[in-house]
Amino acid sequence: LPGRLKISPLFVALVCLAFCSRLSRMKAASICTNSQTGCHFLSLANLFDRVIHHSARMHGISNDLHSEFELYFLPSKNRVSRNCHTSTILTPNGKENAQRIAREELTEVILKLLLAWRDPLWHFHQNMARHHKFNNLSSNKSLEMSEMVHELRKGVQKVAEKMQMLGIISNSLGTLGSREALLASDSPEWRLMNDYNLLYCFRRDSNKIQNYLKILKCRIVPEHGC
Amino acid sequence: MRLEMSSNRQQRLCVAMMRNVGGVIVLSLLLVFVQLAAGESFSPPGTPKNIICRSPEKETFTCWWEPGSDGGLPTTYALYYRKENSDTVYECPDYKTAGKNSCFFNKNDTSIWVTYNITVVATNALGRAFSDPVEIDVVYIVMPNPPEEVTVTVIEDTNWPFLRVSWEPPEKADTRSGWITLIYELRIKLENEDEWEVHPAGQQKVFNIFSLRPDSTYHVQVRCKPDHGFWSEWSGTTFVKVPDYFPRERSMWILIAVFAAFIILTFTFIWLSYMKIHNLKHYVLPPVPGPKIKGFDKKALKNGKFEDIFSSLVVSDFPPTTSNYEDFIVENLEVFVPEEQELIMEDSKDLQDDSIKSENSTCDNDSGRGSCDSHTLLIDKGGGDKEEALQSDQEGSQDERVPTSPEEVMEEDLLACCDEKNSPDISEKVKFTPSLISPLPRYNLMNQPNPPEIGKKHCLSDSLLNPDSLPSYFTQPPSTKNDFRSNPWECNFNHKQHPLHPQTTGKEHLQVQNEISWVHVDRTEASLGVQAPSVRSTEYVEVQRVSGGNMVLLHPVSAGQENSGTMSHQTEHYSRVKTVNNDSGLLLLQKESTGEEMGICLSEEEVESRATSNGYTASITPTSEKPMVGINSTLPILDDRMASGYVDTATMFGLPTY
Repeated sequence: LPGRLKISPLFVALVCLAFCSRLSRMKAASICTNSQTGCHFLSLANLFDRVIHHSARMHGISNDLHSEFELYFLPSKNRVSRNCHTSTILTPNGKENAQRIAREELTEVILKLLLAWRDPLWHFHQNMARHHKFNNLSSNKSLEMSEMVHELRKGVQKVAEKMQMLGIISNSLGTLGSREALLASDSPEWRLMNDYNLLYCFRRDSNKIQNYLKILKCRIVPEHGC
Repeated sequence: MRLEMSSNRQQRLCVAMMRNVGGVIVLSLLLVFVQLAAGESFSPPGTPKNIICRSPEKETFTCWWEPGSDGGLPTTYALYYRKENSDTVYECPDYKTAGKNSCFFNKNDTSIWVTYNITVVATNALGRAFSDPVEIDVVYIVMPNPPEEVTVTVIEDTNWPFLRVSWEPPEKADTRSGWITLIYELRIKLENEDEWEVHPAGQQKVFNIFSLRPDSTYHVQVRCKPDHGFWSEWSGTTFVKVPDYFPRERSMWILIAVFAAFIILTFTFIWLSYMKIHNLKHYVLPPVPGPKIKGFDKKALKNGKFEDIFSSLVVSDFPPTTSNYEDFIVENLEVFVPEEQELIMEDSKDLQDDSIKSENSTCDNDSGRGSCDSHTLLIDKGGGDKEEALQSDQEGSQDERVPTSPEEVMEEDLLACCDEKNSPDISEKVKFTPSLISPLPRYNLMNQPNPPEIGKKHCLSDSLLNPDSLPSYFTQPPSTKNDFRSNPWECNFNHKQHPLHPQTTGKEHLQVQNEISWVHVDRTEASLGVQAPSVRSTEYVEVQRVSGGNMVLLHPVSAGQENSGTMSHQTEHYSRVKTVNNDSGLLLLQKESTGEEMGICLSEEEVESRATSNGYTASITPTSEKPMVGINSTLPILDDRMASGYVDTATMFGLPTY
C-alpha cells in the first residue's frame, strides 16, 4: 500500500532516534549490569575504596618527597610563614567540622583541592627535572605525584557522579566546584612558593583529601569497613 | 570573632603574666635577702627540655616537658604557643589535667592541619628560661590508646584446637566515622618463655593462632597505630590456657608401635643371650676355611722356613714317570645299576686314571695302556643326596674304623676292581665320584698314625647305605683278617705303597643304594701284595652277585684267592666295573692295568644286587674264602666272559665308548 510505505521509513527513523537517545542515556547512566559477564559493575563502596586507596598512595609519595627534601636541602631555621595557595579554600579543621559539613560541600572541597594542585605539581616536576635537583627515584616520584593528582580528581568526579545518580547528593555540585577551582588554580601564589613550602603544603593537603574521602565514605556507605 | 576572642584572651594572659611575674619577683627578692643572710647562692632556672606532645584521638593533645634546674628557688613553668601564620601568643589552657609539667589542649583549642609553635618558659625569682620552640601538627603526633576488650578463646572444633584473639579499638579513637584508621599488631608467648611472637593484623579485629602446644598457658597482647602516627602501648596481658589434646587415632597407633618395638627388642635380647658370643660371631662372620694342603706346614710357614714347606709340595719326580703312574691314579668306581642289572666289567688295560671321564670314552677294550681314558664309574642314583649320605657314611665309618688321616678322607678315590657281573636287576647306576690321588703317602705326611692306612683309599660311592645295614659294616678293625662285612668298601689304591701298608683284612661291602636299589659290594679284604706279600696290594672289588634287585655286590678280590679260575686273568686283566650303562644304569669298573703291583680283581664274583621294592637290604656274602658262587641264577645276561670274571661293557652293550 503506498500510504504505509510512505509512513514506514519515517516511523523507522523516529524509532531509531528514540532508541539512540535512550541508549546514550543508558550509557551515561551505567555501562553494564550485574548479570552481564565480562563487565565489571562497580558499586559505590568499591569506588570509594579505590579513590581512598589512591589518595593514600598519593599522600605516601608526598610524605617521602617532603622527608627527602628536608634531609638533603635543609631549609633555613627561620621559616618564612608558609602560605599555601590553597589556604583560600575553606576546609574543615576538625572532626566535628568535617562531620557537620554537607556531603556536597565536602565533595566539593575535595575536588577543589585536587584541581588546585594540578598545575603546581606539574611545574614542580618540570623544575626538578630541569635542574637535576632530585635523583632518579625522587624524580619519578614527583612525576607520579603530579599524575596522581590528575587521576584522583577524575576518580572523585566519577564518585560524585555516581552519588548524584543515586540521589545521595544534589546535582548542584558540578558547576560550583569548577568555578572556584579555576579561580584557585589561576592565582599566581603558588608560583611564589619555594619547593620546600610546596612540598609541605601538598603533604598536608593530600592528607586532608584522604581524610575527607574516608569521612565521606563512612557517611554514605558505612557498612563496608568503617 | 575568633580573632577577637583571642586578643582578649591575650590581654588577659598578659595581665596574668605580669601579676605572676611581680609576685615571683617579690618572692625571689625576699628569698635572696633571706639567703643572703643565710649565706647561700641562687641562680636562674635551667631551660626546660624535651617537649613531647601527643594526641590520642586526633582531637585533643597533650604536651609534656622536662624542667631544668630550678636554681634553688621556686620555679614556675608556662607554656606558650602560636598557631600557624599568626603571631598571637597563647598560653596553655590546662596545666592540670595531664599532670605535672604538662599542658592539655582540649577539642576547642585543637586544630588539625595547623602548625603549632610551642615554647615553655621557666621562671624563678632570678630569671627566666625559654625552651626551644617545637613545631607540631596534630595529625602527625597521634598515638592512640591500646586496644580494648582483648579476648582470647580456644576453638576446639577440630582435632587441633587454635586460639582466636579478638579486640576492640580504643574507645577514644573514632574509627567508625572514618576519622582515624587504625592498624593492629598482636604478640604471643608461652608462659615461661621470654621471646614474643609478633603477628601484624592489618585493620582486622580478629586473629587466629595455630600450632599450639597442648597443656600450656599463653600470654597475648595487642597494640594499634594510625596510618601516620605512633604505636600505642601494648594492651594488658591476656592469659589463655590451651587444653591437653591429642588425637585419639594417633595415640593408639603410637601405643601399638611402642608395644611392638618393645616385644621385638625383648626377643632380640633373648635370642642374643641364647646365642653365645662366639656362636654369634660365627653366625655373622663365618670362619674362613684355611688352606689344607697335605704336606704344607702352616706353622713352618709362619716360622719362615720356606724350604721345608715347599719341599713337601715338590714332587721330586715330576713329571711322573710311568712307574709312578699309580700314584696318580684316580680310581673311580662308577657303578651303574641298570634295570636289567647288568654289570659290565670292562677289560681295559688302562694304566692311568687321572680324571673323571664320561662314559663315552674313546677307549678300546683291546687298546693298550694309555690309550684309554680313565673312566669313572658313575653310579647314578636317583637321589643324589642319598649318594652323598652314603659317601659321608662311608667316610664316617672309615673314620670310626680306621683312624685315617684327614688327608685320606679328603682323597676320594674309588677303586672297584672287581669283576662284576651285570645283574639284570641292577637298574641304577652307582656312581662313585672320582678323586684325585696325590702321592702323599709316599712322602712325609702330617700325621701318619697308621702307615698301613695311608695308602688306603676309600672307595666311596655316592649311593646310600642302608642305615640298618650300616652297623654291620663298620665294625671291623682294619687289621683283622676275618671276614667282616661291616667294613666299608675300601680299596687300596696306591700300589706302590702297598708294600708299606698292611693289608686290610676283612670284607668290605660296598653298598650302593638308591631309592630303588643298591649295589652291594662285598669285598673280601684281600690284599694282593704282589711285590711284598706282606703288603696288601690294591684290592679290587669284584662283583659278586647281581641279584634281581638292583643290587650289585662287589667284594674285594684277594690275591690269595684260590678260586682262580680267574686267577689267570687276574694277573693280566683287571676288570673293574666301569660303567653300567644302560638306559637305567650301567656299571663299569675300570680296570687297573698295572699288573704286578695292582691288586687283582677277581671278577668272577657276581655282583649281587638286590633291590627290594621298598627297602634296601644289605647283602653280605661271605666271600672271603671263596669266589662267588652263584652267578648262575642272577646273571642271565652274563656271558662266558662274565664267567671268566670280567665283563666288557663295551661288548656287552656295544657302546661306542672306545
